[in-house]
Amino acid sequence: MVKNQVSYNNRQRRLVMQENIAAYLFLLPFLFFFVGFVLYPMFMCVYTSFFDATMGREDIFIGLDNYITLFQDEVFWIALKNTLLIVVVSVPITCAFSMWVASIISKMSVAATSAFRCIFYLPVVTGSVAVTMVWKWMFNNYYGIFNYLGKDVLGILDKPINWLGDERYALGCIILILLTTSVGQPIVLYVSALDNVDKSLVEAAEVDGATSMQAFWKIKWPQMMPTTLYILVITTINSFQCFALIQLLTSGGPNNSTMTIMYYIYYNAFKLYKYGYGNAMGVILAIIIAILSAIQFKAGQEK
Amino acid sequence: MKKIVALLLALALVVSMAACSATEVEETQPQTQAPAQTEAAAGTEAAETADAPVEISLWTYPIGKWTDEATIQSLLADFNAVYPNITVKVEYLDYTNGDDKVNTAIEGGQAPDIVMEGPERLVANWGAKGLMVDLSDIVPEGTYESVIASCTGTDGAVYELPVCMITHGMAINRDVFEAAGALQYLNEETLTWNSVEDFFKAVQAVYDAGHEYVGAIYCGGQGGDQGTRALITNIGGGTYANAEHTAYTYASQENAEGLAKLYAQDGIVFDTAIVAADAIQNFVNGTFQMSFCWNINDELNNADALGFDVLPMAFPSDTTPSLQMGIWGFGVFDNGDEAKIEAAKTFIQFMSQDDAQYTKTVEATNFTPVRDLPGFETVNPLITEYSALDPMQGDYYQVTLGWTQARTEWWNMLQRVNSSDGSAEAILAEMQTAQDASNAAAAG
Amino acid sequence: MAKHNSLAPEQNRSRVYYTICCVLICLIAFTFLFPLYWIITGSFKTKTEILSTTPVWFPSEWVSINYENLMSKRSAPLFSFEALGYRITGPTVPAAIRWLLNTVVMSVSSMLLTCLTAAMAGYALAKKRFYGKTILFSLIVCAMALPKQVILIPLLREMSALGLYDTLWSVIIPIVGWPFGVFLLKQFSEGIPTEMVEACRIDGANEWRTFTDVMFPMIKPGVGACAIFTFINSWNDYFMQLIMLMSTEQLTISLGIATMQGENSTDFGLLMAGSALASVPIIIVFLIFQKYFTKGITMGAVKG
Repeated sequence: MVKNQVSYNNRQRRLVMQENIAAYLFLLPFLFFFVGFVLYPMFMCVYTSFFDATMGREDIFIGLDNYITLFQDEVFWIALKNTLLIVVVSVPITCAFSMWVASIISKMSVAATSAFRCIFYLPVVTGSVAVTMVWKWMFNNYYGIFNYLGKDVLGILDKPINWLGDERYALGCIILILLTTSVGQPIVLYVSALDNVDKSLVEAAEVDGATSMQAFWKIKWPQMMPTTLYILVITTINSFQCFALIQLLTSGGPNNSTMTIMYYIYYNAFKLYKYGYGNAMGVILAIIIAILSAIQFKAGQEK
Repeated sequence: MKKIVALLLALALVVSMAACSATEVEETQPQTQAPAQTEAAAGTEAAETADAPVEISLWTYPIGKWTDEATIQSLLADFNAVYPNITVKVEYLDYTNGDDKVNTAIEGGQAPDIVMEGPERLVANWGAKGLMVDLSDIVPEGTYESVIASCTGTDGAVYELPVCMITHGMAINRDVFEAAGALQYLNEETLTWNSVEDFFKAVQAVYDAGHEYVGAIYCGGQGGDQGTRALITNIGGGTYANAEHTAYTYASQENAEGLAKLYAQDGIVFDTAIVAADAIQNFVNGTFQMSFCWNINDELNNADALGFDVLPMAFPSDTTPSLQMGIWGFGVFDNGDEAKIEAAKTFIQFMSQDDAQYTKTVEATNFTPVRDLPGFETVNPLITEYSALDPMQGDYYQVTLGWTQARTEWWNMLQRVNSSDGSAEAILAEMQTAQDASNAAAAG
Repeated sequence: MAKHNSLAPEQNRSRVYYTICCVLICLIAFTFLFPLYWIITGSFKTKTEILSTTPVWFPSEWVSINYENLMSKRSAPLFSFEALGYRITGPTVPAAIRWLLNTVVMSVSSMLLTCLTAAMAGYALAKKRFYGKTILFSLIVCAMALPKQVILIPLLREMSALGLYDTLWSVIIPIVGWPFGVFLLKQFSEGIPTEMVEACRIDGANEWRTFTDVMFPMIKPGVGACAIFTFINSWNDYFMQLIMLMSTEQLTISLGIATMQGENSTDFGLLMAGSALASVPIIIVFLIFQKYFTKGITMGAVKG
């Protein structure tokens, strides 16, 4: 009896062990890249953030000084505010806008749906530098297309607006451009999600006299929830990564109104060579992102 | 089970240690070897290494045609005809990303052997950080008298072998100024404004002639900020930095009043969305009637798009204008390999010593030589026109410590001025803030 | 009858709403199309027309000078690598060709590597029980949103220590390490019934065979989605390329064009010609794999 128990336990342990080995063998190639080139640099990032690290000399240990300076740095707080603002504004708008577009174009003919899907995807696949240059031209104060439309065609503006040079509008313009480069994938996803919605349920609801609005909220929306959550995740990632736009258009100006953490890290690290300071900022950002991801993920699992 | 975990942990540890130790080796190697080798090789002649094949790298910023492959290849062909054993690998930089690239290369232990740029980077930045080779042994005494001080670091070492220079000025659309009757306020011979007051009169005249935008104070970034610095300090009559290049001094009552006058002037716009490149583009296409950033290369680059007569000008001043110079030349990075340093020195000497070769080197930049070069000006008629600005060259203060951060403070200051009420007091306060931050950076 | 009457106005209203929406979407679609249109036509304009203050909607005269500049101003060997101590160098071609080739090699390699590693890891995370699973998955979720700028400096030091700085590997490897693909394929693999995997194991197939013969064919749409996602991401990964690549032979197309710009003067024609050239391959990829992409990504998302 006892002997049997032991051999059973042994066998089970062996099986568990086998499964562990197999799992890690499957994970090995990924872990090599992940540990070596994501986790290790992350660890180094935390480590260097306690040093006064710059070009051309040995790093000097300074404890928490970088973090103390950071919390007293006005621009850091502005950058943090702007970064969160971009995320908070662009994520829901991207989701809502792409769902709206998807709901309209999914009712069109197959060819039209496909064509629109491509068009909305174009800014994602066209190189960011050139697209940004075109936007810069469109926002131009002197002969840009927006001022031309607003002033000469529609007559809404009595004088041209320096869109990217005005604190009130600059961040809005950045968010607008960011939107055009990020709705492509959500639209593709929503179109397919709408296709996959159980049609019989919708029809049944319509027979019961539900308006299309009601049908949408009561039937389609819950079925698209997983897609929406996925889109929330990728759009949040995308919004945090917004960097090239700032670098190419405003350098964080005017008056830091478009300064984001991403750009501020880059500025400190590559313009002022304050590597330790830049890393400290990166650590704070990583913590914020980790918390946000955890919340999003928890919400996703509960749903 | 525990064994596996232990194994994996050990593996991770080994991987990270390997990475760590490799980093250390890479980083410490040049530092420990460099001084010893420099001393040892100080006495040896270039001849010793002349036969062994050496490959060196040369990184160039867009200084005239120095990023034009055909031009560079012809210069290299000349060099290799004499020194076939030295291979020069050229990489081309741009001003938007160039600094980042050099900095990452330095950080990655892959700095180039030769960089072609100016003292603000070679001397005040990389030189001051101890990354460059002292070139005083190959700079002939007395040859570069006019510029050598700017090429010398605070430690007395020469970090740049100067090649060419230019005087940065501004430019006006002569056709428009003529039509507006504004040419009376300036002197076309000396390329100067009669007075600061006349400059404002001219702007007003052009504005009244129906040109809403006469000129723009661009401050969307650091690109071409030499123009706004020179404009404001010349109109105000103040200085930008002290003569010792240890501190910034632009927050003065005069400079603030000068900027306040510009702020109030019709036709002068503050634009926080553009940098010099955009301002020049707007000047070329006729949106602006003057550009506060201009030199001979801007005229050459835009030759096929310019539909009017450009008149280069000095900045308006009540005394002699103090114009910004640009000095470009070669700097050699200390990568710890004596053979490469010698080869790099050989290359830059070849490019700048013999008159005939030096002429080619300078011609490629479109700028003017930094030493006596007989018969040079006949080469390009435009150079003769632009050289009228040369006697007004002022202090080369771009080597003041903390320069990189000071540049950012400057354009940020202009952005804040733009959203202020434009009074001299408000402007002075903003200037003071920027100056304090810059001086803090200068102090280290 | 009564029911029909009550429905009619509602239907009418929704038809009007729908028409308005269609018109709006067409208008918005124009703004999405515009940058590409402007880039392509712009690449055929003269400098004067590009700089013009009144928009030139259509080039009055089509010139190829921008493409000629792109093709003639820089040159590089088509390929070059070192093997067994010999340096093999291809014929000299316009550098733009080499840059395009680099971009393709970089994107395709990161795509293939990511798909392989992510499919395997996703399978393990979804179907295997192992020690440290929760911790690993939390790490993956957190790292997913992490912007690369955060780890850039340590990564740069690491790459140069390994001698990979200024090689395409320095751009490919961080993309492969980025755990988004694993997350995607883990979600996908979870949708595959465990019984199928177990049945295969009972039939005596080893772990690897189970993966290649049963699992992989079933998660293929997800792998397709992961492939396209990675391809586009690495094609557009401007920042990493900017920091990691330096020499003319290693540059990607967008970086290469940047090095052809002068001080204080942007050659927009050249920029647009280069961008047009760079967008064409990726748009083709998208058009061809569109269906796959759509299907794969949605299934992955829905299953999650």
